[in-house]
Parts: sequence; C-alpha cells; structure tokens
Amino acid sequence: MSVHERLRRLLFLVPYVSSRPGISVEELARALNVSREHLLEDLDLLTCVGRPPFNPDDYIDIYVENDRVYVDLDQRLSAPPRLTLGEASALAASAELLRPAAGDALSSAVEKLERVLPPGTHERFRAMYRKIDAALEAPQALGPLTRAIHARLEVTFDYVTPGRGAPESRRVRPHELLSHRGQWYLQAWDLNRQDDRLFRVDRMEGLAVTDTPFQPREDARAQVPNPARTDAAVRVRFSKLVAPYLRERFGEDARLLADGGVEVRVAGDNERWLTQWVLSFGGEAEVLEPASARAAVARAAKAVLGV
Amino acid sequence: MDRTERLLDLVALFLDAREPISWAELREHFPHDYMGISDDAAERKFERDKAELLELGFPLTYIQGDDERRDGYIVNRDAYYLPEVDLTKEELAVLYAAGSAALTSGAFPGRDDLSHALRKIGFFAGNALPTPRVRMELGTDQASPQLAAHLEALWEACAGHKWVQMTYVSPKRPDSTERKVDPYGLVLRRGSWTLVGFCHLRQDVRTFQVHRIRTLKVNTSRPRSPDFEVPEGFAFDDHVASYPWQHRFHPRLDVRLRLTGELASRAASLFPGGTVAPATEGEGVLVELPVTFLDGFLRFCLQLGPACRVESPEEARTRVKEMATRILEKHGVREEVAA
Repeated sequence: MSVHERLRRLLFLVPYVSSRPGISVEELARALNVSREHLLEDLDLLTCVGRPPFNPDDYIDIYVENDRVYVDLDQRLSAPPRLTLGEASALAASAELLRPAAGDALSSAVEKLERVLPPGTHERFRAMYRKIDAALEAPQALGPLTRAIHARLEVTFDYVTPGRGAPESRRVRPHELLSHRGQWYLQAWDLNRQDDRLFRVDRMEGLAVTDTPFQPREDARAQVPNPARTDAAVRVRFSKLVAPYLRERFGEDARLLADGGVEVRVAGDNERWLTQWVLSFGGEAEVLEPASARAAVARAAKAVLGV
Repeated sequence: MDRTERLLDLVALFLDAREPISWAELREHFPHDYMGISDDAAERKFERDKAELLELGFPLTYIQGDDERRDGYIVNRDAYYLPEVDLTKEELAVLYAAGSAALTSGAFPGRDDLSHALRKIGFFAGNALPTPRVRMELGTDQASPQLAAHLEALWEACAGHKWVQMTYVSPKRPDSTERKVDPYGLVLRRGSWTLVGFCHLRQDVRTFQVHRIRTLKVNTSRPRSPDFEVPEGFAFDDHVASYPWQHRFHPRLDVRLRLTGELASRAASLFPGGTVAPATEGEGVLVELPVTFLDGFLRFCLQLGPACRVESPEEARTRVKEMATRILEKHGVREEVAA
C-alpha cells in the first residue's frame, strides 16, 4: 500500500467516523474496503497524529471501545477532502457505462461533480474524463429496469427467443443487471417458469414496470455460463490462422496441435450457441465430436447456402 | 517520523492555522524531519511532501507577505473540504450503479480513484445510498491482475501526459516488439480494453489491446511536466472499431443485407450505423452499411443464420458462399472421427 493510498484513506476515515460515531470496526473496514487488521493499524497511526506543539490536546482523539469506533475532534477534519481531478474523472467516465439508459440523470450528475471540483480545474477535468471511453451503448431498457430493481417491482416484457418463433410474454422479479463482454443481461426470477433466468436485454420488447412489489431473495446472483470446460463434451479444432486468438481466450485449455492449430473443449448443452460460435470462424473451426454437433453445424451451413 | 504520519500532521497543522506558516516555523515544528540535514535536503524533503499533499487535493500555497501579513504557507480551507454535492436520488443511483459495475469488472482505469470518489460522494448520502444491482464482467482475458495493474499505470500516464515503454505481443506476429507510446486514452469496446496512442516505432496513432502488453514502464523523469500533447481534434472513433466490420483493414465497401424473420425487427441494434429500410420487393428489411473488413463482417453475418442474406456486392456474396462451403466440407459425413 503506497503512502498516497493510505493517506487518502485516512483523510476520509476521520470525517467518516465523526459523522457515524460508534460505527462497528467491521462496518468501517467494509466501507473502506480494507481488512480489519489494516484498519486497526490505521486507527493506531491516527492516535499519533496531531499538530505542533503536540500537547495532549493537539492529537486526534480516535478510539475503539467494545469494537466500535469513536472520534472526538474539533472541526479540522469534519468533512472529507474534495474530489481530486482523477477521482472525479474516473467517476464521470464510469458513469458513461450507462449511457444512454441513464438519460438526463447522467449529464446532470456529471455537471454537479464538476461544480464541486477545486476552482480552475474544470477544463482539465473535461479533458481527463474523456481519456476513458467506456461507452457500452447501454440499451434504454436499463433505465426502467434499474428503477424496478431498486423499487422491487415486478416487470413484464415480450421475450424473443431465437429459433422459437413469436415472442413470449414474461413476468419476472428483476434482481440484477449484468454486462458481459459488452452485452447486457437481466437476472430475474421468472414467474412463468418458477425459476431463475438470465435474459438478454436487447431481446426484450414492450418492457413495462408493474406496481406489484416483491421481496428479493438475498442469494440470487447472475452467472454467465462459461462454455470452456476441460471435461466438456464437444471438441472443436481451430486452424493455425486463428489459433493465437483461441490461445489468448482459453489459455492452457486450448491444446496445441502438431499443425499449429489448437483444440478446445466446450459445453454442448446449447446447440444453437455452439453452431453460431463455430460459424463465426468462417471455416477456420471444425467440430470433431460428437457427431450430432457436427451435423448441426453442417445443417446450418447448408441453410446459409440455401441447399 | 513515519511519512504518512508527518503528512497527516501537516494537514492538521495547516487546517488549524489562521496565519501563513513560514519555512523556519515548519522546521521548528518538525525538527526530526526537516532539521539535522542540510538546508537543501530539508527543502527538497518538504517539496516532496508538498507535492504529495497537492496531489491529494490539499490546496497548499505559498504567499508573499505584505504589511498586514507575513510570508509563508497557507491552505485555503474552503477549497479543501468537499461541499455537499447535492445529488438527486436518480443521479446518485446512476453514479453508484455505474461506478460499482466498473469496480466489479476487476479492470477499470483509475480503479483506486474511482473507489475513493464513490466513497466521497456517498459521504453525505448516509442510509439513502442505493444498493447497486449492476455488474460488469469482461471476458476471461480481461480478468488478470496484470491487466488491472497496467490499466492503472496507463491511467496515470494518460493523466500526466507521460510516455510509456512497453513490450507488446500481437497474435499476428511470433515475436514481441518494444514500443514507446504517447498514451492518448483508453477505450472499452465489447469487453476489451484498448490503448490508443502515438506509436514512436510506427510514427502514427496506433491501438493496442491492453491484455497483450507484457511489460509496461511509465516515464518517471520530470513527473509533473508533460511529455506530449494530444492533437486537437483527436477522436477515439477514428481509430477504434466497435464492431468487427469497422476495422480499417481494407478500402470501404458498401454492403447490402436482407434480414428476415425475427432478425428484421432487430436490424438497427444488430448493425448500428447501418441504414435500415423495409424491402419494397421480397420480404424483410434491407440494411446498407460501410464495411472495411469484409471477412470479419461476413463471419458475423454467418452466425446469424439464413435469416441474414448478403445481397450485394457480388464480391461479398461470393466470399460468404466460399466460407459456408468450407464449413460444410469440414463437417460433411466422415467415416471416422479424428482421435
């Protein structure tokens, strides 16, 4: 931990405790994202901090009593320091993740951040936060979905499942939004299926937030299935041309072959995903087994050729 | 005295001071730190401390005295404290959700800055703090601790306009290359972080996938003076592709597609930047878009299946047929599966 990081944390810690007297050590450690051990070291250090001439009254009086933290101080460290340029810039850049779903709230929040920056730094702030471009083109539906998650309200939508014809109407309890490789998903309890489901946000149509409240489950968490497993059933071989990219993505799980190509094993429980994935290599990938997966890829290629 | 402790003592001293504090007084207050060494060494030590405090946003300045006031260092207390940001519920939710999503990804430039910023804006919110239920996961190749460390170093280099020296591996070449780059900025596209900057080796603006950087060193000489300026009018979009067909590998080709069935209603989101029009003849919609990397584009079309057909130009139609034929040949009936 650098001096810079520790100092930043300590300058925040004192006002934080003064505004929440009696906060538990655990809670404070969680808020500062440090271990209990580090926090106790920090608190020890703070008892040595004061101002010259260092009479007993000149020290910050911070102490732990019954595992709770208290601070007695004059007004010197009652509020945290302003946002630094770097802090405000990183925050503004991250907020772009939700554009355009965040609508006006995003631009007004960034304006307000700019207002509380140290005077004379606004120009540099604008230049700096544009040095990170994390725009994920978040779909509009994220706005209402975020509100529904916070307000714990059920939502309804029509969901397009590829290859299944007409969209199906769904009613769900939204739990969490997840962006995976730039694609947004909603993890929710599907009331029709009575099961947890992951929905792609771009396949939702006619999204509506109902006024039916629900109690969310604590343990729900979205997991994007990772198709790469060494014990998976489908073996796919890739040509030498694309092998470096596969090795980059799969690491040691991409087994190097004598001809410079690689072989990987992936899960085969989603035939549609597998077929699309193999097709996306434009002839540089071949399913070795099982035969059913080979046949599915062949059928898909025939369909494209119209034969 | 421990440096962190000394810096905190300095903060406490200056926040309490009504009058400027002279260098001589400072030396008296901190005899173990600024005395017992040469005057030059003591001044350099204080300068380093001052620079650290300034970086933390502690507005310490030296003022020349006059009849009313003596010379010395003083801090503008009003400029130090964070005023209430006064965010509405919606604004706080956006910043919190996006900030937390970025942090859960494990790799975001300015990660440390971001977590401090979230804490600070949450200071006044108390119990009204929204619980973010938004997460961002990048691919497995973006999950290494080395990538996170490189992003952090690049963020600092971008902010300070300092050049970086790096070892870079590209899947297209067997060996790594040494590059000196002026980092202009960092871009996240489809789960992958890219550095955009001026490459001294190629004498042009180039893009680098951050996960392909093996070693990275930021120029540390004269840390507070910039090594370069970002050219006026520089825009990420001129250099970074969001979609496979936007890579500038070949001259522009205008391609027309026909999307039918369930793809028709998704045309605009599948092919951003393309023009979508209902087909006047036949079914579905027609999409026209510029393509500068034909193979990348056709591979994307292939995975959409037969509901996405390439209509023109002939060159694109021929190529997509070649690809599909090759796939079919590879997956034709075989007597024996390779062991």
